[in-house]
Amino acid sequence: MSKLQANISGIIKSSVIDGPGNRMVIFFQECNLNCMYCHNSHTIGLCNLCGTCVDTCPTNSLQIDSKNKRIIHNENTCTRCDECLNVCPENSSPFYKQMSVEDIISEILEVKDFISGITVSGGEVMLHAPFLGLLFQEIKLHYDLKHLSILIDSNGNIEQEEWESLLPLIDGVMLDIKAYSAKTHKQITGYSNEKVLKSIEYLNDKNKLKELRFVLTPNYNNDESELREIARLMKSVSPNVGKTLIKMRNHGIRKEFSFLREANTEEMNFAKNIFVQADIDILEI
Amino acid sequence: MEEIKDRVLQVLTDGNLDYRQKKHHLAYIAESTQDYPVISKEATEALNEKIICDLFEGNAPYRPRYVLPDYAYALKNGVNYLELEPPTNFDEAINFLSILYIQVPSITGYSVYLGNIDTLLLDYVGDLSEEEIYNKLKLFWRFIDRTLPDAFVHINIGPEDNAIARVILRIERELKQVVPNLTLKYDPEITSDELLLEANKTVFEVAKPHIANHKMTTSDFKGEYGVVSCYNSLPVGGGSHTLIRLNLKKITDLHSGNAESFISGTLKKYCEMTLDVIEARSKYLVECVKYYDTDFLAKEGIISLDNFSAMFGFYGLAECVNQLMKRSGKELSYGKDKEANQLAHLILEEMKKIVDARELPYCKGNNGKAFFHAQSGIDIDIEESAGARIPIGSEPDIYTHINTVAPHHHLFNGGISDIFHFDETVKRNPSAIVDIIKGAFKKGMRMFTFNLSNGEFIRITGYLVRRSDLKEFREEGSRYGSALFAANSMDNANVDNRVSKRVISNEQVASKY
Ligand code: SF4
Ligand code: SF4
Repeated sequence: MSKLQANISGIIKSSVIDGPGNRMVIFFQECNLNCMYCHNSHTIGLCNLCGTCVDTCPTNSLQIDSKNKRIIHNENTCTRCDECLNVCPENSSPFYKQMSVEDIISEILEVKDFISGITVSGGEVMLHAPFLGLLFQEIKLHYDLKHLSILIDSNGNIEQEEWESLLPLIDGVMLDIKAYSAKTHKQITGYSNEKVLKSIEYLNDKNKLKELRFVLTPNYNNDESELREIARLMKSVSPNVGKTLIKMRNHGIRKEFSFLREANTEEMNFAKNIFVQADIDILEI
Repeated sequence: MEEIKDRVLQVLTDGNLDYRQKKHHLAYIAESTQDYPVISKEATEALNEKIICDLFEGNAPYRPRYVLPDYAYALKNGVNYLELEPPTNFDEAINFLSILYIQVPSITGYSVYLGNIDTLLLDYVGDLSEEEIYNKLKLFWRFIDRTLPDAFVHINIGPEDNAIARVILRIERELKQVVPNLTLKYDPEITSDELLLEANKTVFEVAKPHIANHKMTTSDFKGEYGVVSCYNSLPVGGGSHTLIRLNLKKITDLHSGNAESFISGTLKKYCEMTLDVIEARSKYLVECVKYYDTDFLAKEGIISLDNFSAMFGFYGLAECVNQLMKRSGKELSYGKDKEANQLAHLILEEMKKIVDARELPYCKGNNGKAFFHAQSGIDIDIEESAGARIPIGSEPDIYTHINTVAPHHHLFNGGISDIFHFDETVKRNPSAIVDIIKGAFKKGMRMFTFNLSNGEFIRITGYLVRRSDLKEFREEGSRYGSALFAANSMDNANVDNRVSKRVISNEQVASKY
């Protein structure tokens, strides 16, 4: 098996909210967007061993291992206070681990009897496309795992060729559209959305778009024209693609974005109505 | 005599009991005037100390604890005693069963088993439409809840997918009744995924059905089995004379050596003593009361002594194991640590061996042996966890939980249950539960029961109550006998909010029952 490794920020062995059935979810570290409302901002960046968290930890549970370029975390003394995550200047974390395809396969084998499939998520998981290719191939070749479905949870901000080799191996992609207008998209995420829109069109054409989600963020993407454009985009993809309207929750977002406000019922209804008027079957959560 | 008069008066004047409940409690007091079936002095002491517990079956057993009438046989042959001819259509069949249910004896006064109802009724469907079946069954369901108001009353469906099973699940979701408790027999090779999915959607609404591993349970019985009361599996056309349970925590308290000497000494001694009590009670019922010679169910072949056995139960495994670990200087606990889990397994296997080695009279229903049962607890269990369950609040993640308990489920031909807790979010994704159940059965689980946080129905040890009934009961009494049980359970165990409220004494409960 390949020596290729990926930075894994966490694995949830039983999730009922990341696709159909009970699924194991593997979260990859690092993202190429920087959404204001990110609830897991410590998965955005990579650790540069600056040591800030090591100095901050009230229980001295962190240590720099400069030889292996990583941080050692003492789970026995750690109180899960999350101070280290809050102070990290890189939106990173001292907790993520390097794992090989083999490591992940053995984690899946432990729970294979209980799951419908796996979902890979992030961070932005498509930054690890070559690793994913190997992982998925390994799953499809494995006698005990080949029946598992594979879903990718992505922001879509990736070149088309990165998708190509993965598509035959996967069941579908769940994708976010943060805003239709490039300007708004940049406000919310820090980046423009050309690649995202292309990914949506491409995946829909290839019949691999499973779900399209829109996070309603008051004062940013909730004006009527923006919503109508989103509705038009949702209408343009296959009716089989699940559509979800998500209310942005400000629980767990970074301090500097605490000015963000959750939509009230009226605003949610307003948005929902626009989708309903466009004859879109949309789930609201 | 003065003491009995006081007890009677207490029941007569208890405003929380209705007329029928009072009558039931008065009968219990009357029965308590008889001498207990002959057992050793030591066994009597163990009963008094609640080391061995007969679950308030009474001093003088005059009916079996669990009766599972062969309803199919009755429907086919009619019942002379009740002047019932074999039914010829759906209405007649429901009417026939409704009458018969009322006549089936049990410890609580209400029949604990109402049959594998879909298979029983399928023959009578004729050309009824689904809507017609629905309307008729809805009334039947209401009848059951209002006339047999006890959460131990249990009905079965499955394993085949059929119109009646589906209609019943629909009615359950609509009526949201506590009674009847419900089990779906599930076999991945027979039951469709759609029916299992329907069942799970129903669980979200009413915390039932439980899902029974049909293949595994079938292999433990000569003939057909039924799931009754609190997850007990027993032979249809028979049942269990009695259920006596051993308090593993208390015998660990009494024991002064290590785990090894516990298993070879104390455990063995008390298991045998429990079996002595079982034997004495069974004999009393068969030889002195002559129940099986005189009751119409037996006389007409709807039950047969040959299909009866007795049940050996236990509870407080977790506390027993944790204490033995502590004594050997290890802070390891059942459900968390491998070594503790191994000890638990060893204890269970040893008990099973002892139970299987003891030849008992009148237990032909299980080849002369008692059924081994992990008893799911009652209201007076303050310090002991139900059966072989991991204590409430210290359950590990779901896979570890399943992997810990599944390896011993095969031992319990008399039934076992573990409760798995799920978050509300699972409602949006019922197929997730299908995955977990399939996995659990693959790992060897016998029964799968789950609770949803914040559901209107709460599962107390083994039976269901409505949150609102509990509240009401405290204030003004309840139609359901089991609500009383539950109110006590909620106070005693950390069942709902995981906060212990030990407000009542055991004596009070026993005298109330
Ligand atoms: S979460 Fe743990 S490692 Fe991080 S700062 Fe707190 S104690 Fe230290
Ligand atoms: S996790 Fe963040 S704070 Fe800690 S060493 Fe890495 S970059 Fe610095």
